[in-house]
Amino acid sequence: MAWTREAVLAAVTKVVEGHAETGTEITEKTELVADLGIDSLGIMEMVADIEDEFGLTIAETELRQVATLGDVVRAIEVRLDRDGELS
Amino acid sequence: MTQRTVVQALEDAAVSTRTGYRFISEGTASEPFFTYSGLERATARYAGALQTLGLKKGDRVALVIPDNQDFVFTFLGALRAGVIPVPIYPPAGLRKLGGYLTNTLHVVRQSGAKVLVTDPDVRRLLGTVQAGAPDLEKVVSIEGLRKSNERLRPVSVGLDDTCFLQFTSGSTSAPKGVEVSHGNIAHNVEAFMKKGLGVQDGVDSGVSWLPLYHDMGLIGFVLGPLYHRNTVSFLPPLLFLKRPLRWLQTISRLRATVSFGPNFAYALCTKRVRDRDLEPLDLSSWRVAGCGAEPIRAANLEAFAEKFAVCGFQRKALLPCYGMAEATLAISFDKRGLRVDPIDGAVLAAEGRAETVADANDARALSVVSCGQAFEGHRVRVFSLEDEESRHPLPDRTVGEIRVQGPSVTTGYFDDPETTAAAFAGGWLKTGDLGYLVDGDIYVCGREKELIIVNGRNYYPQDLEWEASRVRGVRKGNVIAFGTTKPMGDRERVIIAFETGAPAGPEREEMKEGVRRTVRTATGLSIDDVVALEIGVLPKTSSGKLKRGETRVLYERGELFGRTSARQGDPIGLALEVAKSQLGYVKNALRRGGAGVPPATTGSPSGAEPVGRADDAD
Repeated sequence: MAWTREAVLAAVTKVVEGHAETGTEITEKTELVADLGIDSLGIMEMVADIEDEFGLTIAETELRQVATLGDVVRAIEVRLDRDGELS
Repeated sequence: MTQRTVVQALEDAAVSTRTGYRFISEGTASEPFFTYSGLERATARYAGALQTLGLKKGDRVALVIPDNQDFVFTFLGALRAGVIPVPIYPPAGLRKLGGYLTNTLHVVRQSGAKVLVTDPDVRRLLGTVQAGAPDLEKVVSIEGLRKSNERLRPVSVGLDDTCFLQFTSGSTSAPKGVEVSHGNIAHNVEAFMKKGLGVQDGVDSGVSWLPLYHDMGLIGFVLGPLYHRNTVSFLPPLLFLKRPLRWLQTISRLRATVSFGPNFAYALCTKRVRDRDLEPLDLSSWRVAGCGAEPIRAANLEAFAEKFAVCGFQRKALLPCYGMAEATLAISFDKRGLRVDPIDGAVLAAEGRAETVADANDARALSVVSCGQAFEGHRVRVFSLEDEESRHPLPDRTVGEIRVQGPSVTTGYFDDPETTAAAFAGGWLKTGDLGYLVDGDIYVCGREKELIIVNGRNYYPQDLEWEASRVRGVRKGNVIAFGTTKPMGDRERVIIAFETGAPAGPEREEMKEGVRRTVRTATGLSIDDVVALEIGVLPKTSSGKLKRGETRVLYERGELFGRTSARQGDPIGLALEVAKSQLGYVKNALRRGGAGVPPATTGSPSGAEPVGRADDAD
């Protein structure tokens, strides 16, 4: 199936919301480590869930470039686009 | 058997065309497998390449190499050239680089490394490191080594030569490099592989996701198996953290017999592996499930054994371990499996004695895990902290500092005679762990030091305090970070208390949020509680040093908030409590009303910080 940019953002936001402390406001500017109130193991679990959502793997090198939710969305868009799955 | 250097062991292993290392990576089904024969040839090329870079015997080379295969080849290549590798952990994702770069720079400088080998991705991030390290001549990319066809010019390496530097203990700004000799490795490998694990050469096989810049991963799963030609399959640490199931699936698929993890790894599997994933798992081949590198909680291991029993996991496979980098890797294993000593918490707190309770379900009972007997040729005794010459070993069941002697004990820290001298007492290595002996079995029940261990990672309070001090409004030098196990769960809770001139209200709340955010961003650690206090409330010594232990006690008693001045309160009662809090875990568990499971072991490098006595114990 092809993803739209809006759908990617919505899907990532949904996964992140599921992991964040309740009441945390989630936007594209949300920093995953600093803002969500979860520890590093929790972050890794969340990354795995995001991978599952899109059926891809976020490599260690890509993870080093990621700080905000928006960064994750862009990294996924690049991958989906490369595979011809972004509309 | 005659002791061999790692280099000799590698050359001897080259006869094996059947066993070797397998490197599993994420996102690809291909799993390159190198026999020891192939490994011998490949590492000779890496050694030649390092020599061509101008490295000579005794020079140091820093390795910041995220990929397991690249790391292993470069590490072993360096050893064959007589060059001393200095493994440094690669930058983790999702985190600000500031603290990482500071630490890396300190390690590079302290080791005097002439060359740093890394991958192109990390190299971009390390920009400023070279400028700050005067001895560092080159930063080279791993690709050059991979393509090398250089010949190894043979170098004579002996048992007394330094094998590598293990930088693990110490805070970010003052890292300490344990100097591990080939002789240390040879003795320790003999002890843990043969006497400890009883491995069959070439038959047993291991699976490891452990980071290779740590002793449990590096010595336990790269060097140990090399001496005995056992096959090992390596998973990237990050893959395990994302998908703990992959660890167990790999053991199941490859019918592995030996695999280790810190306590948190077992707890993580219990928590994260879903019931529907259990059915295809077959863990019946797993005969040794070692647990070390951080405090062991019997309840976590019991829960793991229970959950995975349906997969054929045998409870008797559990192997509690004790050790540390200063003793190369391992000091003892409990070959009789997970055994718990139920002791009376009240007697322990009041008298420092571990008295068995008749009924393990008694509310006062504490369960301390046995880490077994010191390996043959090694001695472990318990001494009073004040016994600076280690003259009077304490009797069984009396709590004191655990100290070690034997051929696995390293000579100390590289180029740091002062810290080295402080690490020993009358020829015994001071482990900094508190515990007791029973018929030679080692029981660990606390730490003398202030180190905070969460999910297998060590955090120094100084580093957390420094980060917190950067927040506007927080009084510099008036921040205290500490760990507490109250209320006790799977892990320590981390607390930061700071002083501020701002009045109670929204401004303080903002500062507290700022502290959480800054520390989490810099270290990845979530702070469980942040406490803002009036000026002058935090306890200090007469010379103005922060008293972390006393702060912890006040916090645990709920008295930190009510204080208006540091001098308020009952000083003698407090001093007594601080002394007892050296048995912090035990005491906390006792308060909680029993069923407490104090942490039992630290089995690692980093677990140990034998020097630097808590300065609040006065």
